[in-house]
Amino acid sequence: MCGFAEDFLIPEGTGSGDVRELIRARRQFIEDPASELTRRFFDSFDWRLYRGGASLEERWESGRRRLLFRQLHGDETVSWQSIEVDPGLLRDLPQGPVRERLKPLLGIRRLLPLFEIRSRRQTLCLLNEDEKTVIRLLLEENRLRDHAHHGAQPLAVRVRLLPVRGYETELRDTSRMLNVDLGLEPAGASVLIEALAVTGRQPGGYSSKLDYHLDPRERADATAKEILLGLLDTLEVNVEGAKANLDSEFLHDLRVATRRTRSALTQIKGVFPTELVEDYKTRFAWVQQITGPVRDLDVYLLDFDGYQASLPVPLQPKLEPLRDFLVGHYDEVHKAMAHALGSRKFRSLLETWRSFLQAPIPEHPTAPNAMRPSKEVADERIWRMYRRVRKEGRAIAPDSPEEELHELRKSCKKLRYLIEFFSSLYPRAQIGALVKMLKVLLDNLGRFQDLAVQAGHLREIAEQMSVEGRAETETLLAMGALVGDLLGQQQQARIELAQVFTDFDAPENQSLFRDLFAPTRA
Amino acid sequence: MKTIGVYNSKGGVGKTATAVNLAYLAAEEGNRTLVWDLDPQAAATYYFRVRPKVKGGGKALVKGKREIDAAVKGTDFRNLDLLPADFSFRNMDLVLEDAKKPTKQLARLLKPLSEEYDYTFLDCPPSISLVSENIFRASDAILVPMIPTTLSARSLGQLMEFLEDHVQLERLPVMPLFTMVDRRKRLHLELMEQLRVQYPGIFGTPIPYASEVERMGVHRMPLPAYASSNAATRAYRALWDEVKRGLTG
Repeated sequence: MCGFAEDFLIPEGTGSGDVRELIRARRQFIEDPASELTRRFFDSFDWRLYRGGASLEERWESGRRRLLFRQLHGDETVSWQSIEVDPGLLRDLPQGPVRERLKPLLGIRRLLPLFEIRSRRQTLCLLNEDEKTVIRLLLEENRLRDHAHHGAQPLAVRVRLLPVRGYETELRDTSRMLNVDLGLEPAGASVLIEALAVTGRQPGGYSSKLDYHLDPRERADATAKEILLGLLDTLEVNVEGAKANLDSEFLHDLRVATRRTRSALTQIKGVFPTELVEDYKTRFAWVQQITGPVRDLDVYLLDFDGYQASLPVPLQPKLEPLRDFLVGHYDEVHKAMAHALGSRKFRSLLETWRSFLQAPIPEHPTAPNAMRPSKEVADERIWRMYRRVRKEGRAIAPDSPEEELHELRKSCKKLRYLIEFFSSLYPRAQIGALVKMLKVLLDNLGRFQDLAVQAGHLREIAEQMSVEGRAETETLLAMGALVGDLLGQQQQARIELAQVFTDFDAPENQSLFRDLFAPTRA
Repeated sequence: MKTIGVYNSKGGVGKTATAVNLAYLAAEEGNRTLVWDLDPQAAATYYFRVRPKVKGGGKALVKGKREIDAAVKGTDFRNLDLLPADFSFRNMDLVLEDAKKPTKQLARLLKPLSEEYDYTFLDCPPSISLVSENIFRASDAILVPMIPTTLSARSLGQLMEFLEDHVQLERLPVMPLFTMVDRRKRLHLELMEQLRVQYPGIFGTPIPYASEVERMGVHRMPLPAYASSNAATRAYRALWDEVKRGLTG
């Protein structure tokens, strides 16, 4: 931040004691007694803190257990907060400064431990002629403990400069002494980054976002396999988290990857044998089916506070039995799903699917599009789907049956997935604009349909609750009010659709689609 | 940020020791704490082993030529910073007189630090002057250390009168406390009793006379940092608890 290094690495073979003696020959200091520090680093599965430029560590120091939040870059102040139980979901963390800073980054994801670093540390207080501390040097010997690896691994020994406010000249001089006189190398990375590298973890290594770098001339079947393999990777890495219900995003990402898999299978047409496509289509539909009930409960529970807030104040507490009901059924429903995800059927689906995707592409494929260049197939498929969306959308009138809106939503989703799969074949900015537009349309259609489904589902739950004798009249009335509110919002979405679709169908967007995907006339 | 002025127009009553030791205890609890040594004699600055020098002096601060946070020095203690004194502070009244709104300059200067610190202690010079009025205007409460003697009690009365005469200062909480109390002296005990009747707001904890307090100048650090179990240290701790309660109450 001030243009000089703050961390230096001590070369292998040199101990912190040797460095201390070298400094003693040059500067007057007093030393604090050495202390032990244990730090456990955390991030979410999808590296939300790292991506947000932050880190979180749990520290045990002189009998105290605290969380420390800091920015990885810049000189922002750190935040501290005492804790008593393992950090996990934000909602379980007590109120405090660390929680406040985690909130915008972490969302609904769980904090998972990355590894533990144990340090032996000693502070040297460098003094001026008044015997005033003008800078502190922290000597730090670090050992890494990781669940995946047994035993402790030593990390580089570090000297850290801890500035004292108002003594910038001394800070610069000391930095120069360490670097020039003692020949120490500035540390390029923090101890967190160093430890990640040692454990072979790639920070930011997981994201549910699609990120392909496709070759437009590659055979379409090979490209389809590449896309599907990426989706399978995403699906697989989320299985354990979904089974253990670490947080609801594991299952969500698993389901999105499944839905995208089905979409890629059916929409990248004519690249694989028909029987194979049909077979896996059915088998992945089963995955959607076994994971659906838990996802439904997740959605209700995630939205519950919002539901409650949408009701008039006197009715709000009456909705609590619904939450109890949902929570009460959660374990049983989740157990059934975990069982299915642990079944031989599920394992064999993933195994056979992977071996198909990883097998070499056939020399003489029977599927008609298999050997065509990817870009050609992508253009054709996206253009067709776009025309279908346009046709279906234009046909919708204020009195069209709900099924037509539902069909339009399905087509839109297929179009969006296709564009996302193949996006690397097209100019990034234009694709970004198209996806954004599609999202607006999909949000509207999604709201229309999901709200109706939720309202219908709530009605079923109300019935079930009365059968089980778990609903007072007041609660049923509150649920009725909620259903009414959801249906009201649904109608609102329907009213807005006309304008949203007109925007989507604007002439400039039409030409954008045409320029990117339409076949060139000879 | 809570700003605490430590004031008595009489010298030698333990203002600096009170400011420095309470600030140390505040910082020890994890509060970001600043001591501003406004006394050109620079005793607080000396205790923290900092050179009594502010570039450009008080004038540069008041005229905005030097940012106040650039003058702050870290002490040897975590969370505890010092704004050192400067010999030029002896002319502070003249500088303030020249400024617009001369009684609100200190409050204005402290404003940018309000996010940075939880507590600021103002160690004030012994006088009744424009500087003192600035201190009153900038403070959330005034701590008034006094030895149980007639003269130092008299200065408390003067302060009360001064505040009552100024509409903006009428409500400023005044928190008197006894320092350098010698329980063997009958006069001390009698006066304390008498003053407590006259000023019911006086803190219950008296700071006893202790030679260890005088040694602050030898150790050049706050008392609790070198004599953590001394009777005076214990008294300062109890006093700090009372001050915190007084600030929130």
